[in-house]
Amino acid sequence: MENNAAPKSEFTITRVFNAPRTLVFDAWTEASRLAQWWGPKGSTLKVAKLDLRPGGTFLYSMLTPDGREMWGKFVYREIVPPERLVLVNSFSDASGNIVRAPFSPDWPLEILNVMTLTEEGGRTTLSLTGGPINASEAECRKFDSWHDSMRQGFGGTFDQLEAYLAGY
Amino acid sequence: MTADALSITFSALADPTRRAILARLVSGESSVTALARPFKISMPGISKHLKVLERAGLISRGRQAQWRPCRLEAEPLKQVSDWTEGYRRHWEGSFDRLGEYLAEIQAKGKTTKHHGK
Repeated sequence: MENNAAPKSEFTITRVFNAPRTLVFDAWTEASRLAQWWGPKGSTLKVAKLDLRPGGTFLYSMLTPDGREMWGKFVYREIVPPERLVLVNSFSDASGNIVRAPFSPDWPLEILNVMTLTEEGGRTTLSLTGGPINASEAECRKFDSWHDSMRQGFGGTFDQLEAYLAGY
Repeated sequence: MTADALSITFSALADPTRRAILARLVSGESSVTALARPFKISMPGISKHLKVLERAGLISRGRQAQWRPCRLEAEPLKQVSDWTEGYRRHWEGSFDRLGEYLAEIQAKGKTTKHHGK
């Protein structure tokens, strides 16, 4: 979908991996590979379900080093191997119902993530952009406006605000 | 379901005029007239933006003074900034692991396959 275009802003995280992008894409989309890296260091991931198609769900549980179990899920919106993945991430219960983040009541219920991969000379640049969404904003039209703003970036304005906040 | 406070802040910040208004308020409180000056928007238009910002808790309006000065409220912005930081940390941690994993499986691939390109 056009309105899932990757926005540019300070919410974008970029990382270069010394691997071809097909491999990076596989690491994002195959259950056994996801289990190797998704989640905080020291946690163990168990995959309950991975249905890789638009509208499909990746449901998992994470066992933290201190023995707590957290469930979460991805709901896929767009899958373009090996270059692009759009998904909504949230915490959930074992049945996949969305729940509040266990560590903070302020954490957004649902976060839209746009991941793009570009390859050059055998190295892959991963760019991930995300922001909170809520039920009322789930319609595409609303996404448009949110994405437009993200695409423009908060830019200089936000830099000023950040500087202001640093002294707050 | 109640909308997330963060989502409300994000929607309020989604508009460039509103972000510009907030940026101006960084340097101190201001009257609506002074705020409206740099924009090619009618006073009712500015008032509308201010209402959105006020509802999101991003600004407050003076109650006493006749000119009801607008003031920046930092708390919701701090939440956005904290969230961004948490989100970043969360992914950076996973990406560290992803990098290690990719290095590991490629090293394995090299030992099983023959060397050279």
